[in-house]
Amino acid sequence: MAKAEENVYTLASVREDLIRQEDTIIYGLIERAKFPSNSHTYDEKYAQIPGFSGSLVEFVVKNTEDVQAKAGRYTNPEENPFFPENLPPTSVPSYPFSQFLHPGAASININKSVWKMYLRDLLPLLATSGDDGNYAQTAAADLSLLQAISRRIHYGKFVAEVKFRDAPQDYEPLIRAKDREGLMKLLTFASVEETVRKRVEKKATVFGQEVGLDSDNDGKGKSKFDPTVASRLYKNWVIPLTKEVQVEYLLRRVD
Amino acid sequence: MDKLELRCKECPRRAKAEYNDDTVRASLARLEDTIIFALFERVKFPLNPPTYDLLGDLVRETEALQFEAHRYDNPEENPFFPENLPPFSAPEYPFTEFLQGAGASININKEIWEVYFRELLPKFVKCGDDGNYAQTAFADLTLLQAISKRIHYGKFFAEVRFKEARIICEPYIRAKDKEALMKFLTTESVENTVVMRRVEKKVMVFGRELSQEHDFKGDVSILYEKWLLPLTKKVQVEYLLKRLD
Repeated sequence: MAKAEENVYTLASVREDLIRQEDTIIYGLIERAKFPSNSHTYDEKYAQIPGFSGSLVEFVVKNTEDVQAKAGRYTNPEENPFFPENLPPTSVPSYPFSQFLHPGAASININKSVWKMYLRDLLPLLATSGDDGNYAQTAAADLSLLQAISRRIHYGKFVAEVKFRDAPQDYEPLIRAKDREGLMKLLTFASVEETVRKRVEKKATVFGQEVGLDSDNDGKGKSKFDPTVASRLYKNWVIPLTKEVQVEYLLRRVD
Repeated sequence: MDKLELRCKECPRRAKAEYNDDTVRASLARLEDTIIFALFERVKFPLNPPTYDLLGDLVRETEALQFEAHRYDNPEENPFFPENLPPFSAPEYPFTEFLQGAGASININKEIWEVYFRELLPKFVKCGDDGNYAQTAFADLTLLQAISKRIHYGKFFAEVRFKEARIICEPYIRAKDKEALMKFLTTESVENTVVMRRVEKKVMVFGRELSQEHDFKGDVSILYEKWLLPLTKKVQVEYLLKRLD
């Protein structure tokens, strides 16, 4: 959670938050998997909403972000919109969120990539093919999941800032040399990433199972979704994109 | 959950969603998970009182845009502020028209809203303010929508019962005998015990994996015992009373 007091982000607090965010992402996956692919949701020729050109999911995400923006969501530095162009200003009194991030790098937003990845790569793995007509609810489920994934990936800015403050001498030379590869190496801990993937898969298995009263069937029974989708999401996209955000953030850190 | 035929937009389409004892029970069981996850997500935030100055407007605006996206064409969905929405027009997608009679349009969301804020939320949520009012509001809305869906599923359950045993319950309906109808629905008590035990078990199983501290077990089954199950039953009875209208 964004904090009001300065410097309440630490290596430990950031790690803890990332672990908590796993739960949110997994619930989001499970709730989206409740619906089949419902491809009309993503088809801009289908939507035909007066005054709007785009698919139904774009309509729901963009308009919901507008509502949330007015309520102050994006004043929290941990939140990043998918459609930042023309976002309405907040109409609520501002809350003193901690300004922990370096100003030059705080506004990094790679949500266009996240959006593409979500539609092109994740959904085909997650949703079984079919159509049940519930396009609005599908789009709402997409929005929740997209927001959870986006928040996790952009949390890389906070991770990077904590790491930089901890050991600026390790990062500064690489930053000044614009050495992306070098920074990526410094940020990569294969064993930690493996631990994350394993934990995500375990949680996904537990949250995803169909729990009944017949205890003989626990853990062997049906599942609401394929738990390996969660670990693949992390391995192929969430972890790499979080690191990409960290690298981009660090490259601007000494400006 | 239901058998559906996949056809293209140009062809005449018919939804074949089936509502029977099994599918209704399966849907309700699946909704338990949705409610539990939504509850876990809401308690991530403290009470955040300034949220409640915004919430009504926020829900109205969100429902208006979800209406435009045809959410409420599905008879399983019920808005909290129907008076804020344009008149319903012909649905684009042919959802199964399973519900019959004047009870199909029952909407007790005003009561659910009251109960949620007055009784439910104080039970689950810690005091405090972390500034995340928009996120809190949406966590509330997600949970409210899940609870509302569960409770209004009573209409589908009631219709299944009516079709199964019309001969028995029709006289009660004509006599507007609420008590007799409650008794007619008594098999629900057995069902309700099953539901509560399963909810407790789910909270325990999911709770073991949770990354946050919150002792939920007792509280979540109270959610069902005190509010969800009685309100579902209320919807069932009201639905049946209007079934022949």
